[in-house]
Amino acid sequence: MKKLIELKNLEKTFDGQQVLKGISLDIYENEFVTLLGPSGCGKTTILRIIGGFLEADGGEVLFDGQKINDVPPYEREINTVFQKYALFPHLNVYDNIAFGLKLRKEPKDVIEQKVIRMLRLVGLDGFAKRRVNEMSGGQQQRVAIARALVNEPKVLLLDEPLGALDLKLRKEMQRELKKIQQEVGITFLFVTHDQEEALTMSDKIVVMKEGTIQQIGTPTDIYNEPVNRYVANFIGESNIIEGTMRGDYLVEFEDRMFDCVDAGFEKDEAVEVVIRPEDLDVVPVTEGKLRGRVKSVLFKGVHYDTMVETRAGTSITVQMTVRDAKPAVSSSAEECISANDFYLDIEDVEQLTDARIIARADAQAWNPKTDEFLSISKLKYSIEPKNGVYPVTFETHSGTSITVNMIVADANRVQNKENGEEIYAMNFFKSADEIQESMALDHDLITWADASAWVLNSENEPDIRVRISDVRYTFDPENIQPGTYDVTFSTKGYEYKVSTTDRTEVGDVVGLAFVPEDLHIMRKG
Amino acid sequence: MKRFRGMAYPYVLFICILVVVPMLLIIAYAFTVEGTAFFQHQFTLGNFARFFSDAVFLQVLIRSLRVALFTTVICLLLGYPAAYCIAKSEKRQGILILIITLPTWINMLVRTYAWVGILQDNGLLNTVLGWFGIAPLHLMYTDFAVVLGMVYNFIPFMILEISSVLAKMDPSFLEAAEDLGADKKQSFLHVTLPLSLPGIISGITLVFLPSVSAFFIPKLLGGGSYVLIGNIIETEFLTAGNWSFGSALSLIMAAIIMLSIYLTRRIDKNRGDVS
Repeated sequence: MKKLIELKNLEKTFDGQQVLKGISLDIYENEFVTLLGPSGCGKTTILRIIGGFLEADGGEVLFDGQKINDVPPYEREINTVFQKYALFPHLNVYDNIAFGLKLRKEPKDVIEQKVIRMLRLVGLDGFAKRRVNEMSGGQQQRVAIARALVNEPKVLLLDEPLGALDLKLRKEMQRELKKIQQEVGITFLFVTHDQEEALTMSDKIVVMKEGTIQQIGTPTDIYNEPVNRYVANFIGESNIIEGTMRGDYLVEFEDRMFDCVDAGFEKDEAVEVVIRPEDLDVVPVTEGKLRGRVKSVLFKGVHYDTMVETRAGTSITVQMTVRDAKPAVSSSAEECISANDFYLDIEDVEQLTDARIIARADAQAWNPKTDEFLSISKLKYSIEPKNGVYPVTFETHSGTSITVNMIVADANRVQNKENGEEIYAMNFFKSADEIQESMALDHDLITWADASAWVLNSENEPDIRVRISDVRYTFDPENIQPGTYDVTFSTKGYEYKVSTTDRTEVGDVVGLAFVPEDLHIMRKG
Repeated sequence: MKRFRGMAYPYVLFICILVVVPMLLIIAYAFTVEGTAFFQHQFTLGNFARFFSDAVFLQVLIRSLRVALFTTVICLLLGYPAAYCIAKSEKRQGILILIITLPTWINMLVRTYAWVGILQDNGLLNTVLGWFGIAPLHLMYTDFAVVLGMVYNFIPFMILEISSVLAKMDPSFLEAAEDLGADKKQSFLHVTLPLSLPGIISGITLVFLPSVSAFFIPKLLGGGSYVLIGNIIETEFLTAGNWSFGSALSLIMAAIIMLSIYLTRRIDKNRGDVS
């Protein structure tokens, strides 16, 4: 096969933002190439540079071996199907398609023959005299393709042409486009953010991220052997697990050794293992290579998306004391003020600020008539970095005040060496009203308990935060009574997404089975 | 939609009283002979016969159409490039449109009077020409002065109509044209121009209509002997007091205007074909 387009180290900057960071890519004759990536990754920019609508800041575009950086679009043997089709509204279907041919002054009968043939190719026989804005999106799409193809370009550029169509029509057009490409036998360069579209149609997929190419390969290559986490996540769904290569064809993850089909890694090299959800099977516990508990089941029509947790996350339980506290009211100043007792980590005493105390105590002052919030102007407290109870008084401008206790205690942390995580939370006090009024209770509970989790690392690097994904409690927030309640915060454990036709119930303990071919090993980074 | 229909009633009433009724009155006057009271009027075609039988009136009509046509063509030729530049200049578009519309903030009569000062035999223009040793030109009371005054007054309409259509045009049409092999000139001829036709048509309408019926611009810049159809209508109503003949003239004008609008719309419909 012959190289048709060569991109050499293309660079482009818009408003100081580099959208292409040295793109090099070869496109061959008769290939269906897809540029795949999220919006803003630079894929459309590449297309526009090849089409001649944008100038590259650096690098070369070669067409048939000739540098075409300075060739205007109308002299390039390239045609484009634009994102919104850009059909000329003042011309009918026939004249739209014939536009390029007429400019080239081809004889009238030749033009007619070619246009009729194109209409037949795209399945629009008999639509020649139709006005373009009287046509449906799918039909306009076909006209746009015919208008470009009739000029017999060597390359057809397609800029997300199916984006505006509904799902069913999109699938139909995917098949049709592929068929047309095979029929006319020219190179198609297709831009999309839809991974499924890319997998269905392409001979070659170019996965892009932030102006760089991540991987170039056939759909099967890219699906089965993604080079990194980004590609694996972008193409299809995947479970990505941290692991270690213990030798050729042997990988360790979740403290177990598994056979795999990959070799050529360093011994004990840290890797990431990709397992596609459809490659995993749910089996009885004793038959599985991994075991876990079913966390959620989503019915997807043909199959179930089942989440299986093989290892719980890190969790911590704290006590929430609910009191029937009333705000302090000053009738003369028409002001109310409220605050809660709160626990304070002994390590935080040194860096304590007024704002932090107000936040931790959730201190508020307001006018009961207008419900307007008032500022708390004065705090009175003395504190020492020793465990104990220290009173703090909040006061408004007009002197309404409330006193609560700061309880300094040792930090309440749970370390989980296995997951490499640490989680922290403090006991806290609340009034029943505050719990009932909460709009997002899980989120508020995390704030009230000052709960946070981070990655354990030996070096003194900045903490990498871990999201607290699960908040569990046993009380009924609607009818909560004064008393003490447990609240448990947890991070996410190891979870596997499984696409299976087997029905399971949440809470079932199941095994997960796979074969060595299902494990795809990626280098880290 | 139905719920809001009631909100249009005040305007419908307004239109009936101030437009439809006067129109009917004009038609009634045009087809009747003069009487002392409305009910004594009698049906006649004499007013129209008088117009078409007297060569002077036809000459005036032809002159009016010619002046309006000149004005429109000049407005189009000057206005289109200006409108194109305004539509293409993204950042300065607002300020350019402001400059174009700025003169319309001043009363039209005053602006037209200013031209008298500039054009008259011992006016500004001739004074400046005198400095360069050029003999004074007689400019006032000529076709030139009248057309100049009309172009000056009406060209903002042309520019605004065309530039608003051009500014709204999707730039991807031009990219598509280039992609299909059209160079800059061909893109303009086969895409930009046909797509801006609606703007051209409404620009032409907005310039041609006031030009053909203008009466104080020819009066000021054309002088007492320079008579356009608008001046005759004015005279019939205000000086001669012959409302019937004035109404007949107005109807003839209206018919000509409607015909010309119809013809331009026809062009709009059949517009655009690369060949």
